[in-house]
Amino acid sequence: MNGDKRSPAALIIGLILLIYGLVLKRHDAAIPPGYLLDVATYLKTTKEVVTQFSVAIWSGAIITFFGLWNLAMPSMNSKFDKMVRTPIAGVGTIIFLAFITRYYLEPIFKVWGKNAEPNLGFDFAATFGLNYILLGIVIGIIWVNTIGIPKWMQSGVKTARLAMKMGVISLGAMYSLTELRYMGSLSIVMVAVFVLGTVLFVLLLGRIMKTPRPLTGVLSAGLGVCGVSAAVAAAPVVKARGIDMAYSIGMLLLVGVVGLFTFPTIGRMVGMNELQFGAWAGTGILNSAQVAAAALIFDPKTIETLKVAEIFNITRILFLPVIVIVLAIWFAKGEEEAEVGKINIGRVLVEKFPIFVIGFILMFAFSSTGIFTPKNYELHGKNFYNFVPEEKKEVRTRDLKKVQELIDSGNVTNPEVRAAVEKLIADRQVTTTAQTDLVLKASDFTDDKKLKDIFKDADKKVQATPPTIKMMREYMMWFFAFGLIGLGMQITWQTIRQAGGKAAVIGVIAGFTKAALSFLICWLFIKGTI
Amino acid sequence: MAEEKAASTEQKEMEERALSVFASERKEDLTALIIAFALALLVIFTLK
Repeated sequence: MNGDKRSPAALIIGLILLIYGLVLKRHDAAIPPGYLLDVATYLKTTKEVVTQFSVAIWSGAIITFFGLWNLAMPSMNSKFDKMVRTPIAGVGTIIFLAFITRYYLEPIFKVWGKNAEPNLGFDFAATFGLNYILLGIVIGIIWVNTIGIPKWMQSGVKTARLAMKMGVISLGAMYSLTELRYMGSLSIVMVAVFVLGTVLFVLLLGRIMKTPRPLTGVLSAGLGVCGVSAAVAAAPVVKARGIDMAYSIGMLLLVGVVGLFTFPTIGRMVGMNELQFGAWAGTGILNSAQVAAAALIFDPKTIETLKVAEIFNITRILFLPVIVIVLAIWFAKGEEEAEVGKINIGRVLVEKFPIFVIGFILMFAFSSTGIFTPKNYELHGKNFYNFVPEEKKEVRTRDLKKVQELIDSGNVTNPEVRAAVEKLIADRQVTTTAQTDLVLKASDFTDDKKLKDIFKDADKKVQATPPTIKMMREYMMWFFAFGLIGLGMQITWQTIRQAGGKAAVIGVIAGFTKAALSFLICWLFIKGTI
Repeated sequence: MAEEKAASTEQKEMEERALSVFASERKEDLTALIIAFALALLVIFTLK
């Protein structure tokens, strides 16, 4: 639907989803009809039938409603029409593609990968990470470069970036103070070195290759900080022209796409863990959206890699003001007339600083108040603890014996830790927040890995994910899936082709150097887990 | 002459496409922030 035309696209997509949902519901929400059950059993998706049902019914009903409305009365120029009614057909198409990719394509590739393993010697679906995130992006890229984006879809595809930002803001609720403190300190050091290093390296390359200063300036911000948004933020202070932006965006997309597809495969092949890969992706991949994509391709089941990668990404975005000031000074020094003095750097910083980063921080602060935590749960930094005594939370008797041996050995010299561990033995489970911290500290008094695991397990047993967080995680994953299919639909050959000449050479040299060096550092020096 | 004109049109198109990135990023950020918080509140009110 694009203003003056009536298009049935939204209605058709809405009805398909709605009918699919109703077919699933026909007998019982959890029991699909026979043929669908056979398919679900073959694809091993029977556990996801209830989620499929609710997603299909809700999205189908909403899209059908707007589809009917749009057909009866074309959308006009009101804000609501522009923001909701006009994009609905494109939004519906992407939701439909995300649905198919998540519940059908990914499982099919999983089955094929397993079936082909005896002949190939490896599971190609697992090795190349053919999950719904990667497949969604690939479908988006193929779609836009073959059939193109019809007019009725265009405004819907543009909402992809909005969805990605909503995903990042919602992700803020998934962190804990402990995690943020640990990852934050790690990321600040790495990001500071790489952001400043890359910016200076690109400025040097620009001087050697004699590229125009405005182009060098935006390239350095884009390559050093977080891709296109950083290039946009730096543009006014280096007086970038449209053509400089076009070259930079093309180059950032080109290098970013290569990173998006190679990083997860390399990470998997060398056996990186979530912390190592998240740190590498958050430092080495140029664009913010592609950082999230790579992290989810690497690890779509849990959100741990995404959490690490986004912390690194957010940290580097926080460096944006510093880089804008550095570039303004660099540009002013090179200009004969002191024209830069006319640019209000403060205003540029305020206007161009990405507000969604502040949204992420606010969401984290909001979540830290314990607002998502239900009754009987206690919020304590990293985890939500449920301290209602239950048998299943008890530590096994033979493990408690091992803990008792540690106490008897006298190695636990800290009286508080000792008391907490003795209480653990008496109660057979952790019962307070203060105790759980002390029990974890007991690991410092032994080298026995088994004992360390027992303390970790005792802590884990009283943790629980409340339904509020589970729900937020589910819709956050949909935001990312939606945003990344839309991202794929924006990767056009035409845009990449823009990355011509010296901009592409600088991009490839700086992008590759940054990726290789950050890989070595993450691979060799980051040893812990989260 | 024709080639020059085509190149100039292409450059203009490239510039327009690039400049479109500048537009409405702030509004988009604010929209994302409002929707994300509205959803979070909805989740809290319905599930907590």
